[in-house]
Amino acid sequence: MTDRRETIGQAPGVPQVSLAQIMLLFARIGLTSFGGGLSAWIYREVVDRYRWMGEDEFLGGLTMAQILPGPNVINLSIYIGQRLRGGIGSLVAVGALLLPPMVLVVILLGIFHRFGDLPWVHDLLEGIAAGAIGLTFSVGVRSARRAAARHYWPLLMILAIFVMIGLMRWPMLPVVLCLIPVGLWAAWRER
Amino acid sequence: MRNNLYWQLIAVFAPLSLISLGGGQSIIADMNKQVVEFHGWMSQADFVDLFGISRAAPGPGSLLVTLIGWKVAGFPGAVVASLALFLPAGLLAYFVARIWNRHQGRAWHRACERGLAPIATGLLVTSAFVILSSTSGEVSLWIIAFAAAAIFVLRPGLNPLLVLGSAGVVQMLVQIALR
Repeated sequence: MTDRRETIGQAPGVPQVSLAQIMLLFARIGLTSFGGGLSAWIYREVVDRYRWMGEDEFLGGLTMAQILPGPNVINLSIYIGQRLRGGIGSLVAVGALLLPPMVLVVILLGIFHRFGDLPWVHDLLEGIAAGAIGLTFSVGVRSARRAAARHYWPLLMILAIFVMIGLMRWPMLPVVLCLIPVGLWAAWRER
Repeated sequence: MRNNLYWQLIAVFAPLSLISLGGGQSIIADMNKQVVEFHGWMSQADFVDLFGISRAAPGPGSLLVTLIGWKVAGFPGAVVASLALFLPAGLLAYFVARIWNRHQGRAWHRACERGLAPIATGLLVTSAFVILSSTSGEVSLWIIAFAAAAIFVLRPGLNPLLVLGSAGVVQMLVQIALR
């Protein structure tokens, strides 16, 4: 796999990011993202903190990651790695995200049976997971707020998704596939 | 016999990789059925244990596949099962990303990203809600989740680990107090 940076690097807005930086960032997220909600962690670091890509670039990639088969976070990491450093960037991002927690999870398997049944451990983990849900929710709220400041149609789409998938419990994929042309049409008209 | 087991792991997880649309939750339900009911590699209680560990550990929840592989066939099993689940969908995502990113910077491409962005935002908010309503449903968890969300919105610079750790301790203390 060749580094595609020479061919895609000319496009505006791709910052100079080294493979080591990608590796360190994704390894850190892989090892600290307790309770789940990794997309929100990645958003915080890649968009908020290091500004490796803009919000729309990130969220556009996240939508694709969610439509394509396979775990979303992995698809998202591949997208980000590809954008920053081509094929090798994808490989480094996914490898760094997966390998360290893979080792950790196997080690945990060995000690889980001693602690896993304790009720307070269960409560602790549930609390952490609830906190991680809050993190995911906050990323959604913040980008909804920014989108609403620009125009009203993104807010309508966010609301429609919440009602159809969250409240009515319709299956995600058909809903999203129907809304994609609506979003593209609205964005094209706004331009 | 042993080789056979590796092929069986591949036969279970590689198709799952490409047919599990919509991410983690649907993959886990499919895995459960295949591993417990169809192949009988472990009991339902074992599976729930592994699921619990994958949730407790940091990293993607889909690392459950690594644990299943490990339980079924040790270290090589963990490697084979993980690759079988991650590689096919990963390759597809890579080629789509490559084609997509090739056009970045063009006006129509920016408009596409702008049109897709609210969908991701909607799905983030919705997934938070759906996961929360599928937990044990204790009021304290809802309060913790919304308090954490408020903190993250108001103080985006705060280290998330601090908030997550506090969330865990609060839930633990509340449950001890209620018991």
